[in-house]
Order: sequence, then structure tokens, then C-alpha cells
Amino acid sequence: MLHFVLRRLIGMVPILFIITIISFLFVHLTPGDPIRIMYGAEIDQETYQTLYEREGFNDPLPVQYGRYMVDMLVHGDFGQSYRTRADVSEEVVRRFGYTAILTVLSMFWAILIGVTVGIVSATKRNSIWDRIGMISTISALSIPEFWFGLMLMQIFAVQLGWFPTSGSGTWIHLLLPSITLGFGVAATIVRFTRSSVLEVMREDYVRTARAKGQKERVVIWSHVLRNALIPVVTMAGLQFGFLIGGAVVVEQVFAWPGLGSYLIDSILSRDYPVIQALILLFSLQFLIINLIVDISYGFLNPQIRYD
Amino acid sequence: MKIWKKHLVLPAMASILVLSACGDGSDEPADSGEDTGQNGETEQQDEAEDEGEEEAAQTETGGDLRVGIEAEPTSMDPHNTTDGNSATIQSTMMEGLLRFDENMEIVPVLAEDYEFSDDATEITFTLREGVTFHDGTEFNAETVKENLDFVRDTDNGLARSSFFSFIEDVTVDDDYQVTIVSDEPNSAMASYMAHSSAAMKSVEEISKKLEDEDYNLDREGAVGTGPFQFVEWRDSEHVVVEKFDDYWNADEEARVDSITFLPVQEASTRVNMLRTGEVDVITPIPTLNAAELENEEDLDLYTGSSTDVYYVGMNFENDNYDDINVRKAMNHAIDKDGLIAQVLDGYGQVADSAIAPPVYGYAGQSVYEYDLDYARELMAEAGLEDGFEATIWTRNSTEFVSVAEYVEIQLAEINIDVSVEAYESGTLFDMLDAGEDTDLWIGRWSPGTGEADYGLRPNFASDRVPPNFNNSGFYINEELDAMFDDALSTPDEDEAMAVYADIQEMIYDDAPWVFLHIPDALIAKGTNIHGIYVLPSGAVNLNLAEIH
Repeated sequence: MLHFVLRRLIGMVPILFIITIISFLFVHLTPGDPIRIMYGAEIDQETYQTLYEREGFNDPLPVQYGRYMVDMLVHGDFGQSYRTRADVSEEVVRRFGYTAILTVLSMFWAILIGVTVGIVSATKRNSIWDRIGMISTISALSIPEFWFGLMLMQIFAVQLGWFPTSGSGTWIHLLLPSITLGFGVAATIVRFTRSSVLEVMREDYVRTARAKGQKERVVIWSHVLRNALIPVVTMAGLQFGFLIGGAVVVEQVFAWPGLGSYLIDSILSRDYPVIQALILLFSLQFLIINLIVDISYGFLNPQIRYD
Repeated sequence: MKIWKKHLVLPAMASILVLSACGDGSDEPADSGEDTGQNGETEQQDEAEDEGEEEAAQTETGGDLRVGIEAEPTSMDPHNTTDGNSATIQSTMMEGLLRFDENMEIVPVLAEDYEFSDDATEITFTLREGVTFHDGTEFNAETVKENLDFVRDTDNGLARSSFFSFIEDVTVDDDYQVTIVSDEPNSAMASYMAHSSAAMKSVEEISKKLEDEDYNLDREGAVGTGPFQFVEWRDSEHVVVEKFDDYWNADEEARVDSITFLPVQEASTRVNMLRTGEVDVITPIPTLNAAELENEEDLDLYTGSSTDVYYVGMNFENDNYDDINVRKAMNHAIDKDGLIAQVLDGYGQVADSAIAPPVYGYAGQSVYEYDLDYARELMAEAGLEDGFEATIWTRNSTEFVSVAEYVEIQLAEINIDVSVEAYESGTLFDMLDAGEDTDLWIGRWSPGTGEADYGLRPNFASDRVPPNFNNSGFYINEELDAMFDDALSTPDEDEAMAVYADIQEMIYDDAPWVFLHIPDALIAKGTNIHGIYVLPSGAVNLNLAEIH
């Protein structure tokens, strides 16, 4: 097990290295440079050149890449934001807390709702509950997060006054954004859980268990779910990575000071140090989630072994 | 309103607490927000109640004013700022020698008086005595020199250094008199010094930067002489300023204890926050929301002409626009009133010059009336009755795209077959700077100095073609170039204004742009907020805000 984890961690190094190159090229080859975007038409050529030089844009790309890597690996920092002059590493660490708490809570809602509804739909297949479950998930999948968030805000914050509309600070601030973010993922998990449970229920060992006269509840809980949840966990893990994408929108709508809104701001202003740091962080997060997903298989089904 | 406390929050809190125990353990959001959101609202109400009891005899003061702004500020250093959000925040803390009032008139602040030399190459300021910075240091002539020398030194790489490049020297005449010398006659010098980027910082801060290159003036150096002093800037969360007790101007002391600026990018969210009372003021607001807010009882909407002009730029290197008849036809073919009604929900006015009415030196022209028949005649005169194909570049924001699409539909009436291409602003700037394949584009210009020279020269002077500045249409007019220099070298205001009027007439007649519209500056506030006003530049003056 330890061997497996270590091997996977070492395997991440070349992947992350390639990601630094790709993200570096991606940001530097995108049209529009940070200085021109920040200062727009109000800047003349002379000042533009001074600033351009100060940021080291005159150097060839490999030199700039080298400097970026040295700063990161040797000095352990991602530099300063071009836009706000804030220290990128500090800023990323601070905002990571916000995004982490938002995505974890969203995932909690998503799994809670998704797995429950999925199991009910599958075990009561073709019943009215199944139909309600399926219709709501299709609707949930089709509703844009942006609109859903604004609707929740309109109803629960503006009309009813139960929650603050946006911002951060207390736990209450977290509820509307996390529900918005978890909603779409919940729908995906419902459909996945349902089909996975249905598939497992057709397996021979389930039929055997039933034939042995075990109670339906025992069959579902100890035979079906243990196997049916493995693909659900994989999918939920991947969704967790994708939640960042949703967080970009939700953080924007609810003015949540996490990494999602940071990414949007930095892309719009071509804030290279921030974009690079965030891409690297998100990739790392994705790799780690995948590793956790793989490890969790073993806990769900001890027959799975790691060699 | 209070029901949620009992029925919803307890179970929700319980489930979150259970979750957080197995989460990553980050409790930063919970710690950080004690002064935000609902709590802030309660504090404000409490304070309002206290006031009622204790301060009946005094003017209504106190409270935390909460302001929802469009975006994160970029810097607390006025010398390194080009965005309106930062300027709004800075103007509570920093002051310059002069400033623009709500009518864009220049009024003295840290200067008591100023005088131009006869040839308009020098401007001498008599400074106010007894002014102290937030760090306790004195304001004097030396401060002015240090500030201006620092900002115009290109080695310091400040965004506004070119803004002050007209200065050749700053001389300290005595402790409270300073003279700015320009290399060429420049009657716009006072306007430059009234701009928000000419605000004065404490010399201590500048020397910290000179001693230690890593010292971050953008985030830490907000030490000015204004009625508020800097407290904290947390990215994406808030910027907080508090009342400065030793402010020099007793008549204009801050009325509120503090101001909290909250960056909220999504316009609908900003509007909702104002409705729920989570913020007291929002700036700016989309025109779509303005109409509905206008009808709400406990909210006020402020509108007024901005200094932004929207136009369709055209590339003079493209033969289609050589003939003045074509350019005029395009101007006549667009129903600007319709555009304002449909795209801006009525919150705007027709552009009757290349600069907006609040800009110093503005002279309105008689507008190109919407007249399709005449426009078609003009096209026929140019031998282009069958029209031509054109591409219009625009930024990809909804507002810009709507304008472009409106123009597309209208120009089709005179057989100009326009296709709209929307680009992210950075990409668009690159394309315009490259100066290749440019055809038509939707432009917006607002002169930072609030006066005619900066309003016109960057767009129409021959030496301002890409990549140097904004004349992306390569409009070359030597007569106009000479007039620009004339106007700037005329120290007599009336004479200079007369030249600027001629310049605007010449530009409007020659139609190097399709002149579109000037949007209104829009902000909204609760009816309990008083004493604030909007500058045409879009910045909001909050220094005398009161909550009652």
C-alpha cells in the first residue's frame, strides 16, 4: 500500500513538470499582454516599454520559463500578482481555504442527495419515486449554475431574508453557494448511482443472496452497495476536481473570495504568475483526488489489492 | 426575518460542524468575517440607535458605510492606478493640490491658489499650511517635489509616469510655494494636477520604497492627508478605511467612522445586496437594473453624464472610408436615440462631439440626424450605392456586443454588410495595436484628466497612431495637429477654449468616427445615505457621507 502511494506520488513529478511547461506556454501565447490590458489606451509607448521590460517580457520565452521555475523551486514562491502586487503564494494559500470549504460542503450535499435519491430510484425502479427522481435530475442538469444561484439568492436572500446575498464571513454565507455548486453534481451522482445499483442488482451473487432468503435490506446494504459504490466513488472523485470549474461561476455570483474568482480575474487581466500558480495547483489537486479515489477502493472492497 | 435563526440555522450549523470536523479544518472564513455581512448590518443598526440617544445635539455622525464596488482595486498607490475603483477608494485617503468637483470644475485642496506664467510653461502653487499626513509628517513644498519627481521617473515603472512626462522640473520656491515647469507651453497643467493620480503621498512612504526596492507601495503605502486613513485590504473581501481624527479641514471632516468597500463583480448580486441592506451604496449599476431601482421606495438612483464616449472607429488605411461622404453617410444611418433607448434603457445621450459635456473644453456640435434617404444619397455620391462588406471588432462584453449588433443592423440599410467579431478585450487591444486588418471597431474613450487635450489628442493626433496610444484608425490631419499645439500653448483660458471648440468642430465635421453615445454614470444608494456624489469620471466621492 505504502509502496503504491509512493510510486504514484513520484509518478506525479513528471506530469506536473509537463503541466508547468504547458501552462507557461498557454498563458504567454494567449493574445493580450498584462500591461496593455491593465493600462489600456491610457498608456504611452515609453511607459509601456519600461513596464514590459520590468516584468522581463523582453527575454526569450525559455529564459522567462527558467526564471519562473527557479523562483518556484529554489525560492518557493510564485512571485507577485501583476495586477494587485499581492504575493501570489500567500494569496493562493489564503483563498484555498475558502474554496476547499466551499467544495467540500458542496460535495457533501451532492453525495447526500445524489446517493440517497439514486438508491431510492434504483430499488424502487419505475415507481413514482423513480420518475420524480429522474425528472428532477434531468432538470437539475439542464439548469445553469449561474441562473440557479441567482434564483436561490432572489428567493432566500432578497425575498425571505433568511441568508445574506453574498460575501463571506459566517457559516451562513456558505449555504447558498454550496447548495448551488452541489446541485449539478448531485444530479450526476443520482444517475450514476441508479444505473450502477441496477447493474449490480442483476449480478449472480445478488440473486444467490436473495435465493438464500436474506432480507432485501441486507442484500442492498451489504451486497449491492459495496460493489455499486465503487464507480460512484470514482465519478464523485472526478466531479470533485471539476467542482473547481463550477466554483469559478458560483464564487463570481456570490462574491466568495476563493480560487475560482481569483482565476477568472487573473485570466481576464492576463496575470501570468497567478494563472500559472492556479493551473499547477488545480492539476496537483486533481492528481491527489485521483490517488485518494484509488486508495478508497480498497476500503470499499477489501478484495481490491494494490501491487 | 428572524425565523431562520431558530428553524434553519441550528440544523444547518450542526451538519456543517460535523462536516468541518472531517474536512480540511480550515476555519479561516469563519474567523475572518466578523465585521462583514449580517454582522456588519447589525453593527450599523446598533450604532444608529446609539446615536439617536446620545448625539441629538450634534450633526449626525458615525457608522460604517458599506460600498459595493464593481471589482477588486488594483492598487492603493495613486501614482500606479488607472482604474476607477481604486481611485474611488484612494480619494477617501489621498488628496492632491487640486481636485475636480461634481461639475468637473477645478477647486483647490492642498493648494490655496495657483497661477500660470504668461507663456503657460510654469504653474506656481501656494500651498496650505498646517496639513499633516496620517503618519504625522508635515505637508509642504518639499513633499510636492518628492512626489512629482518620484512619479515621473520612468525607472520607478509607475503606470502614471507618462501622465506627468510634461514636467521638466519642479522647483521649491519656499516652504509653501512650489513651481512646476513644463518643457512646452501647457495650459492643461492644472487639470493634470487635479486628477486623482496627482494625489500626494507621505514622503516617508516614498523613501521606504527608495531604500528598499521590495517595499510594496501598491498595498501598504496609502498614507495621505485625506479625511480617512487606511486600515486593511483583504483581496476579494474588503478594503477598510477609518476616520482620521487630525484631518486639517474642520469643515469637511468625515461624518462616518469608517467605510468598507466590498468588491462584488456580478452586477445582479450588487443590486441584491443593496436591496437587502447589506451595502449602502453600489457603483456602478447596469442600466437594466437602474429602471427598476428607480421605482423602489427606500433606494435612490443617481444619474448624470459620464465622460465616456462610445464610437465606431474606422481605419483610414482602408479605401472605403477615404471619401468623407461615406463617413457622413454612416453617421446619418444610425439612429442614436434608438440605440440609447434599446441598448442603454434610456440612460445616455447622443454624442455631439468627440468628448462628453463634462469634459473641460467641450463644445457641442449639431448632431448627424438619423436620415436614411440622405445617407443613401451620400453613399451614391461616393459611388458606393451598392455598399461594401465590413468587419466590426468589439469587446465581448454584452454591452459592447449589443452596440455592435445595433450598428450592424443599421448600416445594412445603406448596404454596408457588417459582420460583428467579438474579442476578449486583451485580444482586441493587441489587434488594434498591430494596426493590420483593422476595419471598424467599437471604441470607448474617457479622458483621465477630464480636459479636452487628453480627450482628443490621443485619438486624433498624427503621432498617436498604434502602437503609441489610441489613434487606431491612423487618422492623419496636419491642420488638426497644429491646432492641438496652439491650444496647449495658450495660457489664456478663453482663447484656449475657442481653439478647442474649433478643433471639435473640425473633427465632428470630418467624421473620423461614427459618433454614438455618452452613457450616464449610474450609482444607487439607500435613502438613509446622504452627502455623496458621483464624478463624471464614474468615481464616487464618499468623503462627506452620512448615515441617518
